[in-house]
Amino acid sequence: MRKLTLILLITSLLAILSFGVLASAQDAEPQYAGLDKDLSGINIKMLTIGGGQYEAMYQSLPVFEEATGATVEIVTLLDGFEIDKKLIQDYATGAVDYDVAWNHTSFMSRYVGFVEPLNNYFTEEELAQFSPSIIESATIDGNLQLIPRHADISALHYRTDLYDDPDIQAKYKEATGMDLAVPTTLEEVDAQARFFHDNGYTKYGYGIVGKEEAVTGRFYEFLFASGGNYFDENWEPIFNNEIGVSVAELLRGWYADGIISEDTPNLVWDGDAANFCNGDVPIKLEWYGWYSYFQSPDSCPNVAGKFGLARGFSGFQNEGARPTGWAGAHAFSITSASQNKEAAAQLIKFLTSERIAYEEAQLGFLPVRDDVWNRIIADASASGVPLDQVRLEVARTQITEDFKTPPLIAEWIPFSNLFYPYLQAIMLGDVTAQAGLDAAAEEARQLLADAGYYDE
Amino acid sequence: MSTQASTQLKANQESNRNWQIGSRWFPFFLLLPSFVFIIIVTGFPLLYSLYVSFTPYELLKPNSLTFELPKALNNYSRLLNDSVFWKSLGNTVLFLTVTVNLEYFLALGLSQLLAQVTRGQAIMRTMLMIPMMFAPILVGFQFRWFFNSNLGLVNNALVSLGLIGEQTRIAWLVDEPLGMISIIIATIWMNLPVMTIILLAGTLSLPQETYEAADVDGASAWQKFRFITLPLLAPFTYIALTIRSLDVARAFDIVRIMTDGGPARRTELIWTYAGRLAIEDTKFGLGSAMSWITVIISVAFTIYLFRQLVKSRIVE
Repeated sequence: MRKLTLILLITSLLAILSFGVLASAQDAEPQYAGLDKDLSGINIKMLTIGGGQYEAMYQSLPVFEEATGATVEIVTLLDGFEIDKKLIQDYATGAVDYDVAWNHTSFMSRYVGFVEPLNNYFTEEELAQFSPSIIESATIDGNLQLIPRHADISALHYRTDLYDDPDIQAKYKEATGMDLAVPTTLEEVDAQARFFHDNGYTKYGYGIVGKEEAVTGRFYEFLFASGGNYFDENWEPIFNNEIGVSVAELLRGWYADGIISEDTPNLVWDGDAANFCNGDVPIKLEWYGWYSYFQSPDSCPNVAGKFGLARGFSGFQNEGARPTGWAGAHAFSITSASQNKEAAAQLIKFLTSERIAYEEAQLGFLPVRDDVWNRIIADASASGVPLDQVRLEVARTQITEDFKTPPLIAEWIPFSNLFYPYLQAIMLGDVTAQAGLDAAAEEARQLLADAGYYDE
Repeated sequence: MSTQASTQLKANQESNRNWQIGSRWFPFFLLLPSFVFIIIVTGFPLLYSLYVSFTPYELLKPNSLTFELPKALNNYSRLLNDSVFWKSLGNTVLFLTVTVNLEYFLALGLSQLLAQVTRGQAIMRTMLMIPMMFAPILVGFQFRWFFNSNLGLVNNALVSLGLIGEQTRIAWLVDEPLGMISIIIATIWMNLPVMTIILLAGTLSLPQETYEAADVDGASAWQKFRFITLPLLAPFTYIALTIRSLDVARAFDIVRIMTDGGPARRTELIWTYAGRLAIEDTKFGLGSAMSWITVIISVAFTIYLFRQLVKSRIVE
């Protein structure tokens, strides 16, 4: 009897132990979501972003189709700006015949009313898995406009071969009386940029874009980092105040003195990144999405393995100065015209699940879920490249603490289109900083007045 | 004349008259399907666009598509008081004038040279067409990189040839008037074959007897070109100028990619501005009004060119 009891006890213990190991093994694997409903016979149409790494996610769609019985049809793949134009035209003409649509924190304000509030389709528990700052940014008048897919924010990229060089450090100390360290303020960025350029270490001292929404965003970044803003709480333009003028004059001085490329007014992301890749720029703010490009000896032999990443710098030392952190998140929404909203919500849950988000993060995208952050930081620590882990730690801090969207107004792009030509004119010396910003402020006010922002 | 013959004659006259009436209208009946198609495909959208131009319509604001007579001309009034509109119109006229004229003289020279080629002309004509095979957007990207001040082919070639210093970087797409010149170069590179082919076809169709008679009279090459080739090529010239003028006036793709009308509106053309207003800024009513102003100017210009074409054929 005792022998039988002992056998039973050992067997039970082994069973419990096995179950524990099995459970742990299951927890170690990232999980899909959105597969718990029968969607047989439903065809879910999706309009989404395409190109390069964006399309890897869609290869997982058969998993969703097999588990739920639904079919997923991708109606169009376009890049970010083209997809915005298509969405505008489809929403305007009522030609929306898809259920899930791409969205973005920078563009979502213009789609309000054409996408379904997602509060009704996601539980609090499900929403808690995403970055709170992004969810908060994505909520307009209490309605959640989108579910984020992945985020991007700009980190300070700096050339370690320059910053770590003892001779250069000594020369900088001699020239400025300060230690050469990764800059944490705009004043330090200016001093170091001029030092590197004037002493011939690099062709330029800093890299920045110069047109379209790109430069409007970068100016905004310097502006809010310096305690300023485009508009006050009543939507009156205030970017032509002292802070705005100081930022504009900084850019104008940089251009006139050759600190930034002579092509700057015609550069967007690819051209700006190419200058850093070529080794012509010692420091700049840049999106994390370019990391693998810069680290590849095939594409960027001049900087691969020779740069570091740091949190964005604070602006000019004013009240309210804070680190830069212009950020955005690609996302998904359900169109108001959708005939399959529940099914669309399930698809979005699947596409933004831990498993899919982890697979995207492994490609280089920044995740918007805490569970995925933990996984990729652990993966990076085992990669053998210290910067892989540093990158993610810095990014996580930035996404959590520094994430800042542009003003959440439908008129953001129209405002940008009227603003950036004035900023270019300032940069080129066609007009003074004050005059240019004053003219832009007047037009901006008219734009918002026409849109009904003021009680006049 | 007998009664029967008289009746027969009247019947014949009646039949002839009916046949003349019918034959006069017959061409119109043949063209009717085309007219109907054009009216449906082009006419209705044009009329709708005209209607929209009198409204404050914004995409994404369906309720803004409302016509109010007192405010009907607001868009046109706003444009006529918009300095950017006038700048873009002026830039477009300048761009059109320089591009089409330069293209014409280059194409004329090229066509005359090609007409002299006796062996391999077909191959050379085919090679000439290569630039036309590229989509305008690709040409825009190509030349944007060519003219990149730091990494572009042009500056690096100039440095290699010792024409500019290593530290001198010409900002082709930024400096004034280099930005416009760069766009003109890209446009001409892509479209020169069109005008060349038209003028070459005209040159090859000219009567040789006229030249032979000129040779007998001892005319020089320049005299033959000045007094025979140029006047006889006039109809082809006007056709080529009309086609290319309308093409260039619609320029959008290359400009959009190379400079997007910047920097600071230096290369802003009518269609880059109209496209930005209508789609990106969603101000469709305003964009439609700008389109109609441009259409009216284009139609006036086309009528003038066609009149010149008709005149040149009458002289012939």
